Amino acid sequence: MSALAHLGSTGGGAQAPGGAAPEPTKKGGFTAYLLLLPGVLWLLVFFVAPMVQLAAVSLQSQFPGYPGYYYRDVNFGSYLTAITEYLPHFGRSLLFAGAATLFAFVLAYPLAYAMAFKAGKWRGVMMICVIAPFFTSFILRTVAWRQILADEGPIASTLRFLHLLPGGHITETWVAVVAGLTYNFLPFMVLPIYASLERADPKIIEAGGDLYANGLTTFRRVTLPMSMPGVLAGTLLTFIPAAGDYVNAELLGSDTSTKMVGNVIESQFFKVLGGFPVAAALSFTLMAVILALVFLYVRRYGTEELL
Amino acid sequence: MGIFSKSTGGFREAKGDLILENVTKSFATFTAVDDLSLTVPRGSFFALLGPSGCGKTTTLRMVAGLEQPTAGRVKIGSTDLTGSRPYERPVNTVFQSYALFPHLTVRDNVAFGPKRRGVADAVAEANKTLELVQLSHLADRKPTQLSGGQQQRVAVARALVNHPEVLLLDEPLGALDLKLRREMQVELKRIQMEVGLTFVHVTHDQEEAMTMADTVAVMNLGKIEQMGAPEVLYDLPRTKFVANFLGQSNLLHGTVQGTDGDSVVIGSGDHKVKVRQARMATGEGGEAIFGVRPEKTRIHDTDPGPQLSGASIGPGTLLDVSFSGVATQYLVEIPGVGRWAVYEQNLDLDRIDNKPGDQVWISWNPGHAFGVRS
Repeated sequence: MSALAHLGSTGGGAQAPGGAAPEPTKKGGFTAYLLLLPGVLWLLVFFVAPMVQLAAVSLQSQFPGYPGYYYRDVNFGSYLTAITEYLPHFGRSLLFAGAATLFAFVLAYPLAYAMAFKAGKWRGVMMICVIAPFFTSFILRTVAWRQILADEGPIASTLRFLHLLPGGHITETWVAVVAGLTYNFLPFMVLPIYASLERADPKIIEAGGDLYANGLTTFRRVTLPMSMPGVLAGTLLTFIPAAGDYVNAELLGSDTSTKMVGNVIESQFFKVLGGFPVAAALSFTLMAVILALVFLYVRRYGTEELL
Repeated sequence: MGIFSKSTGGFREAKGDLILENVTKSFATFTAVDDLSLTVPRGSFFALLGPSGCGKTTTLRMVAGLEQPTAGRVKIGSTDLTGSRPYERPVNTVFQSYALFPHLTVRDNVAFGPKRRGVADAVAEANKTLELVQLSHLADRKPTQLSGGQQQRVAVARALVNHPEVLLLDEPLGALDLKLRREMQVELKRIQMEVGLTFVHVTHDQEEAMTMADTVAVMNLGKIEQMGAPEVLYDLPRTKFVANFLGQSNLLHGTVQGTDGDSVVIGSGDHKVKVRQARMATGEGGEAIFGVRPEKTRIHDTDPGPQLSGASIGPGTLLDVSFSGVATQYLVEIPGVGRWAVYEQNLDLDRIDNKPGDQVWISWNPGHAFGVRS
């Protein structure tokens, strides 16, 4: 999307250096609105309406003496509960998602780089390997990781044997949760970085060498900055869903010390009588926090093409 | 030097002529450059001219260090650069696609090289070079905000700012329209004279090569067919490939039938033409190709034969006449020889009364004819 907008602006940019977009013709106006209609309707029905409903629920008050019954109200009490009681969960959500994003980046960049520049005829095979896990349910794959990382499993036993596992477990710890998040969202990091590297003209990287930059400097000064749009997209696509995830903490984490906001929302909705307003308030708070973080992040690292 | 040392660590100062010694570059299935030896004098504007796939770009990339030769040496003066990395060579390239860094401003693009080499006032150097290519006013723009011609000049500035011993130009004008290309040809020539660096220019455009370069090397199938000043190459091509690739030639495939004074007689069917010994690229006997440039010929309504024996041909059938103001171009089908072209400058106000289908003869000054190997 951003790439298209960018391409569109290059043509006009030469004539109008101010970057002013050409005026849309009046004749096309009606057709344009007509084409927008399905998308707008979709957003209204499946995004705006549920959001309004969720906001309304988060502000409801409970009928005194009737647990599970509410009335319409503008009561911010649920938000207070959400923030004060579940602050550690917010902290964990952001911390685990942040760590998973970092690890995913560290794993994904060399992989994407190899696919874009070194794989040759193996590029297609590597691409399939990255995408193939999507053909299995991610719940199933996460359950599989529980088996692999289990106390009796090969990894945990080996580490225990080598005295490298102080706690004795991998599952039921934050390590397993972050590992699960990293694993599950890795393709969302690989694909955008790959796309941005693959689009880059190899001559530009050669130009780095031609202009006295050695391999490392060329990577730092040319390749990495050129792939920033992909890195930015990848980190957002990893961090945002990871921060809201509850499956990994549920299946790989412990019942107490690794719960994330998603787990609280899930239990408030499905397991606690009268938990709806708090769950809705938690959802909204998480959304606000993520939006604020993303905004700051894009402001800091975003290129013109993304803003 | 560790990998964290300044990238200038392995930089090699070298001054002098660019010398290629028996350079060969083989890829898996073909040989791109075949035992090529070449000396480009310091400070000259040298053009490597040839069709696509002739090995000219591979040759350039070996000088830049972007490819390593399979055999042979690449030297500047007495310094052997074979095997060294691109960033270690006092050589810079203007890439065909410009290859500007999209994330950097024009100024930062130009300052990139000086910064890597630790030049103290890299930005000032960049500004100075931008002035040379008349782009100072666009220094804060991103490359995508510039036109093709402007991007091209940024690419030239980005290479020039480093004062390389050799500047390589890889079809730098290929993406520009004709008018801009002519302007840039003049501009590049001006810059080269001003900075006095060795320019090696790769192109498939023969006119561009002849306009700009002091020396042109015509390449074909990984080898240099002929090398020399543009006028010499054009006037006296030594191979059929050069005769056809550099300008246009009227050719007659025949056999050497003997000598007449200081001329060689080449015959084909009823036609007999003469070439001065000194302008023949073949030895005695055997097959030979006679050639003469279209603008060196004239068209006749009657047989000029008796007076111009060996310097005329005909009769042929006039196929096409095209009048273009300054000149008139005739296309003539000569039985047993092929199609010949005649360009006549419209010096006089003669009415052109030749029509397609007419019988015509063609003549030339015998001193302009040449003979090449078949």
